[in-house]
Amino acid sequence: MKKIEVSRRKFLQGSVSLCIYATSAMAVPLSTTKTSNKSATGVPYLCNMCRNKCAGFARVENGIVTKLDPNPYFPKSRNMLCPKGNAGVDSLYDKDRLKYPLIRIGNRGEGKYQRVTWDEAYEYIKDRLVEILDKQKDNRSTIAYCNGEGFNKDEYIKFFGEKIGSANFLDEGSICLNTKLGATLLTIGDVGEMDVAGSDFLMLLGANRFESLITPDSVDMARVQKEQKLVVVDPRATVTALKADEYLPINVGTDLALILSMSYIAIKENLYNMEFVKKQFKDFDKYKEHILKEKYTPQWAESKTAIPKEKIERLTKEFFSAERPLLYMGRRSVWAKNDFQLRRAMVLLNGLAGSINRKGGIVFGEPIKLPQEAINSPIYDNAEGRFDLDGVVYGSQKGGSWLNFREKVVTKTAPYEVKAMFIRKHNLMHNMPNVTKTKKMLEMMDLVVVLDSMPTDTAIMADVILPECTYLEREDMVVSFNRLEPSLALRNQVIKPLYESRSMQDILKGLGQKLSLPLFEISKKYDEELQDSIKELGEKKAFGEGGYDLAELYKRDISQRNRELITKKFGKDVYRTLKERGVWYPNMGKQHKEIFNGVYEYYPKEKRFYSVDRKYRVKCYLKKLEKNGFDPMPTWRDEYNFKVAKDSFRMITGRYVMFTQSATTNNKMLRDLEATNHIWINDKVAKSKNIKLGDLVEVKSSIGKVQIKAYPTNKIHPQVVWFAHGYNSTSESMTNSYGNGANDNEIIEDRFEKIYGCATMHHTDVTIRKI
Amino acid sequence: MARYGMAFDYKLCINCRACEVACKEENGIELGANKHRLWIETKEPSGDFWNLNREKMDFMQLQCQECEDAPCLKACPNHAIYQDKNGIIRLHEDKCDLSLDCVKACPYDARYVDTRKNITDKCIFCADTRLARGLITTACQVTCPAKVRIFGDLDDANSEISRVLKEREYFQLKVEEGTKPKLFYLK
Repeated sequence: MKKIEVSRRKFLQGSVSLCIYATSAMAVPLSTTKTSNKSATGVPYLCNMCRNKCAGFARVENGIVTKLDPNPYFPKSRNMLCPKGNAGVDSLYDKDRLKYPLIRIGNRGEGKYQRVTWDEAYEYIKDRLVEILDKQKDNRSTIAYCNGEGFNKDEYIKFFGEKIGSANFLDEGSICLNTKLGATLLTIGDVGEMDVAGSDFLMLLGANRFESLITPDSVDMARVQKEQKLVVVDPRATVTALKADEYLPINVGTDLALILSMSYIAIKENLYNMEFVKKQFKDFDKYKEHILKEKYTPQWAESKTAIPKEKIERLTKEFFSAERPLLYMGRRSVWAKNDFQLRRAMVLLNGLAGSINRKGGIVFGEPIKLPQEAINSPIYDNAEGRFDLDGVVYGSQKGGSWLNFREKVVTKTAPYEVKAMFIRKHNLMHNMPNVTKTKKMLEMMDLVVVLDSMPTDTAIMADVILPECTYLEREDMVVSFNRLEPSLALRNQVIKPLYESRSMQDILKGLGQKLSLPLFEISKKYDEELQDSIKELGEKKAFGEGGYDLAELYKRDISQRNRELITKKFGKDVYRTLKERGVWYPNMGKQHKEIFNGVYEYYPKEKRFYSVDRKYRVKCYLKKLEKNGFDPMPTWRDEYNFKVAKDSFRMITGRYVMFTQSATTNNKMLRDLEATNHIWINDKVAKSKNIKLGDLVEVKSSIGKVQIKAYPTNKIHPQVVWFAHGYNSTSESMTNSYGNGANDNEIIEDRFEKIYGCATMHHTDVTIRKI
Repeated sequence: MARYGMAFDYKLCINCRACEVACKEENGIELGANKHRLWIETKEPSGDFWNLNREKMDFMQLQCQECEDAPCLKACPNHAIYQDKNGIIRLHEDKCDLSLDCVKACPYDARYVDTRKNITDKCIFCADTRLARGLITTACQVTCPAKVRIFGDLDDANSEISRVLKEREYFQLKVEEGTKPKLFYLK
């Protein structure tokens, strides 16, 4: 009989819930709406509490959303909703939501706004844009635009990129996962997908899949715990590490040394899959020679990583003798300056084990292809190209490099002036290192427009705030998901937009109608190609055929567009299934079945796309890197050594399971679970500094300082401190997150790696002082 | 008529707390970090960072154990607590005067005070929400990523819970108290 100490959770539970939150904030309604005992309609929707997109059914009673339940039909989210997904109701009904269009009357960041009508807001934007574009002689790229939300990104790009004609689009990729995507793409020709469920030996580096939930990866990992060996490498004993079969503490930023050493052992002792390497690898001889010549021995790796050499040797042998080993590539992954090289070394190691295009490996799969709607876009003669990839070897042509962009703007070294920004659901004042610089960038703009549903720290930097509805109040264009078990999913509208908020498409439609002619007039003045075209065709035709009607795409509403697009390619039944169940995939009716207790099978094993017929090579050597002065093959450099300044700590960042960055810290339900963020500091170190649980400390780096409560613990490296990202709004209108905890990006120094232009996060040394 | 119970494949839990939020949303539970019908018990590893004693950390899902012989029911001076037709321990809210005898009597610390209604509250297997709508699932069960919770009728030999209890070994909490709990933790 197992003895379990049973006691109701008190103040201090699990990680760090230190204060009772909701009882002290009486302004917050003290509960949510209880569901009734009567049946009600369930509307299939797709979650947007994070970037991941799970499927659910929303229960609507008397026009009120009372509950969100998981959708059993969606292969990706495996019939579950996480705590954030469950708390979506409280984001929908958050009393702090942006309700009306607003125009700034105070200083930027002060939060003083005047309520205006939609037309007044559009009119204001039009006047400013005409002024700016006239001054910039129709260089459309003076308008930068960015987006942080997963859905609608392409629609947003079509409007500002193709219709308005700016080259300067920025998204979260360069502060998130572009090195991982790029390393995979450049090494095996595709970004692929990791088959976590199919692996019998899973090794995680730089990923915390049980506290940073990604579907289906996190769900699969949780469900196959009994059948899979899980090894976690981390400078912090995360929940994922605590649940692992084996946990290896490591020095920050030295993962590459571990992977290189595993590669060394595999090659030296001929543990690798020779048949696969012979068939698929390109330049393996060069890689072999390089790895052996550099002598990445376990002893060497121990000196870099602090992982005992015996463990490295044993784990490498276990990894290569497993049937389907998988080295998990992470997601929000740009931690150290060598990140691209690390991700590449990881792809190559997976390749050495033959874990590519097979069960339990990196799979190519067979995504369902969706047709694209054609739009007629103008060509602007005076629109300049993007500049944020100057000095970056590859970079994402789509989402660019945030830190390089911002740097060039604030130091005025960009080839032209950027004077306007449209910011959609992208909290710039929180999401990238060095908040001071972001503030400076926004202050340099003549026009800042924010589309969001919450009065974020970025929203209060705007001239005009346009209230966008939440994901539960709109239909979005159908999306294709996944490769191994592919499906289509449709976000249906659960309720009509609350207050005066609008969907993004409706916002852009209004804006497009307002801007089309005035902006065309600017082009007429400066664009010689357009002037010729007018001479030839006449003004009306030049406007129409040239695609200058900016609202063209939104003439038909989303539901009409979805119906036409889906029906045309897949037929009426598929459309109906998507409306009724939110999800469709081939043979769904036959294949979809419950195995046990809410666990479903979507594709029988023999129908999953584990291995597809495709020609590809695993490229060991990248000439372009060499040409640009970088290592063509993953190589350790002395500058990567883990070294912390005297009396300092290396600051690392991450997440709590119940929050998605800054987007959810105002959610009253989630704040119940984790009231504030705390800084993790090694227990022995804390003792020597007389820092106790809950003590307020000042954390200082070269660029700033924050105050935060301490959480001494044995779960963190003695030279490292950690706290969760996303806390402490400066916007007073975010009543639950205002002044609560600390914002990591006020102290993380802004540096980016030069291969993908991605912000690195784990290089800042800080000092800590008890207050 | 049923005899509802719940089994937990507790080792699979990753402490994401989706269950807690789903419960609060479904049942309109009072907000507050100490107000909850269910909670997850966590442990901390001991030792030094480089040599943590953690084995494989397990989390425990705790809530009302739905005793066949419920101490809370017997302790209530107002006879406010009763067992419904499905074997679930319920409360006549109008009869509760917050004597808190039930809170003290419960060996599992399952009850808390709802300060809106001035009653003691605890898990009732979604009896007046989901079960009342004819579902045989609980909010915590369906949302769980790892599908830790198995809910159903213990008297129905074909229910998933009956089958799993036949096939797998389990333990129960504080059986020495003689409460005959209907919650089962699978080994």
